[in-house]
Amino acid sequence: MKIDIIKLKKIVGENNLRDNIADLYVYSSDASVHTSKPDVILRPGSIKEVQEIIRYANKNKIPVVARGAGSGMSGQTVPLKGGIVLDMKRMNKIIEIRPEDVLCKVEPGVINDELNDVLKPYGFFFPPTPSSGKICTIGGMIGTNASGNRSVKYGATRDAIIGMKVVLANGDLVTLGSNTIVDSSGYQLAKLMVGSEGTLGIVVEATLKISPIPKYRGMGVANFKKLTDAGKMISQTIAAGIIPSMIELMDKVAITALNNAQNLGLPNVEAIVIFECNGMVKESIEYEINQIKEICKKNNGSGVKVTYDSDEMTKLYYGRKNLFPSLSKYQDGLFTTALADDMAVPMSRIPDTVSKIHEIADKNKVVMSAYGHCGAGLIHTKILMDTTKESQWQGAKKAVKEVYDYVHSIGGTTSGEHGIGFSKGPSFKKEKKDSLNMMRSIKKAVDPNNILNPDKLMDSPDDWLTATPLRYQVTK
Amino acid sequence: MANKNKSKSKYLEKYKQQMNMCIRCAYCFEKCPVIKEVKWDTDGARGKIIMSYGILTGELEPSQYIADKLFRCTYCRDCMDRCPSKLEILDIFTNSRAQLVDAGFASDTHKYIINNIKKTGNIYGDTEVITPEQKGKVPLFIGCQYLGRPNKTKKYIKILEKLGIQPTVVKEICCGFPMEVLGFKEEYEKHKEEFKKKFPFKKAITFCPTCTVFLNEGHKIEAKHVLQVILDKLPKVNLDMKVTFHDPCDFSRGLKIIDEPRQILEKLGVEIVEMKNIKENSRCCGGGGGILMTDQELSNDIAKKRIYEALETGVDTLVTSCPTCETTLKKAAQEIAETDGKTIVVRNIEDIIWRGLKNA
Repeated sequence: MKIDIIKLKKIVGENNLRDNIADLYVYSSDASVHTSKPDVILRPGSIKEVQEIIRYANKNKIPVVARGAGSGMSGQTVPLKGGIVLDMKRMNKIIEIRPEDVLCKVEPGVINDELNDVLKPYGFFFPPTPSSGKICTIGGMIGTNASGNRSVKYGATRDAIIGMKVVLANGDLVTLGSNTIVDSSGYQLAKLMVGSEGTLGIVVEATLKISPIPKYRGMGVANFKKLTDAGKMISQTIAAGIIPSMIELMDKVAITALNNAQNLGLPNVEAIVIFECNGMVKESIEYEINQIKEICKKNNGSGVKVTYDSDEMTKLYYGRKNLFPSLSKYQDGLFTTALADDMAVPMSRIPDTVSKIHEIADKNKVVMSAYGHCGAGLIHTKILMDTTKESQWQGAKKAVKEVYDYVHSIGGTTSGEHGIGFSKGPSFKKEKKDSLNMMRSIKKAVDPNNILNPDKLMDSPDDWLTATPLRYQVTK
Repeated sequence: MANKNKSKSKYLEKYKQQMNMCIRCAYCFEKCPVIKEVKWDTDGARGKIIMSYGILTGELEPSQYIADKLFRCTYCRDCMDRCPSKLEILDIFTNSRAQLVDAGFASDTHKYIINNIKKTGNIYGDTEVITPEQKGKVPLFIGCQYLGRPNKTKKYIKILEKLGIQPTVVKEICCGFPMEVLGFKEEYEKHKEEFKKKFPFKKAITFCPTCTVFLNEGHKIEAKHVLQVILDKLPKVNLDMKVTFHDPCDFSRGLKIIDEPRQILEKLGVEIVEMKNIKENSRCCGGGGGILMTDQELSNDIAKKRIYEALETGVDTLVTSCPTCETTLKKAAQEIAETDGKTIVVRNIEDIIWRGLKNA
């Protein structure tokens, strides 16, 4: 691909362009299993620079992929067709905080937890709470409609987006949404951008709804001998009308991995559930926590512990927060891969789904862990396998398909919060077969030259395993 | 081809499993002082691990560019604390550096330091270092940084003696940490033998935090930092001072020495006004990992961030317990005083202890 490096250097400055083979190699991957090199990496520092880059790219039909921390698990920021990677880290200003209007405006490179540090003295926070909050960027969260452990109460990024500024594929800057909490003025284009994974435009500024920091919090943990009991406890809690601020599940594989990686000394049980209630009135938190305790006991939960001390809560939650990368310590020779990494199912089907995941794993000779924000019906899994063996990849491919086929069969959806990229492309396309043409029409309308993160989502390759080289050394 | 790859990866082969365990989650970015300044993925821990993997698999050829990136690390250990997979990140970097040095990509500055150690036994190449040799009861390892500052050494030895500890001082040579961390593995293996002869002790007191870590980890000597040894022996004094304390990385994350300096200052009647990032979350001074020799601008930018943090406490003195931290933070403080007109004095804790003992 012929790229005018001199022209691009003039746009962003010499120090904000890299095309050394080592940089291209590093930027060829994210937290997914894939690798595909870009041709150049640019770090724009302003909206104007983004516009100039996009105009150049559009004119020359060069693909452009925006990237924050590169912590996406489904290949969203892997540049399948090469081209330009826009590293948005320089655009990291918090532009405005307006607690009186419960909103703030930020550039896309702002890190989630750093935003919350700044909001804290105002008594507010940005409610999507991804586990990667210490490093993930607001832009990345918008791209994937990220959520986290508090999604059961606060929803996802889309629920907290009020408006945004976006650079379209032709270089035009548009302002979407509004500055108000409610907005019924025509198409909700800002909401459409959320979860579009950089395929419809480059977000250069976001207006976020912020929430008051709850005054009181209580957290509890319960152990379950049976996974299905844990699943029932979760769905019964939600069905009882309690809205916990968090309800998380960890299965046996997750527990073992955490004990190996973090030395947490967690009990040897089939499942652990962590729950949290928060709010402004202490008595109502205590009431809800006690209700949940009863539901735990009703479903054979044991070792139920509750705390209202924030240091204890930090300790209780520490393991869950570090679970995903810790999974590689489950067993020597098995490595964590971000495959079938998330899904969402109807709440009542959580227990069935978790059991089915283990059944599919056994059948295909891989190990799968089930955990996640099950209070919102969201289940995370990871496939642990010997990434050097071709046979394991074939097993993983089958397992991924079977998991999502099952999820769809019970009315679930391919991704709850991590997004599709192209790792989940085949399953996504199968699930959304009725609306693929509509998505493609929208994409064609705003990006006729298909430069913005091409071959993702509805246009992703039919076989994720062969779409790119894997970032592992695989032997037959 | 296989042999070529093998020679490219002789130091990295044993870390293949670890590098496969790297999820590339980027959790190591959180407080990495390099990536916070530079803002390129390549320069952070994840980028370095990816490049190391590329060298191991042969997908990347060793190059000066990659060497420059791999040497852009202060060895602050923050990434190791953050990595949920508990990878031995710094070991991977050290072996990557060795791979690159083996391939001919050592910097001239680093080669100069290593030659100094080989020829004179210290990092300065000083043939006239005066070691205050003496016979005592407890072996003391002074280290290059203190040997190069004879007044500081004298002060610390007097502190020990005033507190009833009689150190044995022998004509020592560099602990060898620069050789190991800068990728000169073969040189280090030879140096190790020489070190054993010159310093044939199983236990020691040390002055420098980095030497303390390396004597323990590299030479398997049970080394205790002087602050650990004198804490209980110090008298209570009231210096009536207010300071902030900077935890050196090798203290807080390496040796897990967090309370002792604070307890010492408290005993001396020194009130500590803490910075935002302290103890195991202490921010790097920008001086470690060899970066001071080859990337002074970056080192200084990192140090300045720490000084700004110290200035936020409102005190006029920053105390630390590491000679490298003292050097880099002093330089940064001086620059900030010139550019911003904001001043803070940087002191090493031995000055405060000495003042306390004089007042006792």
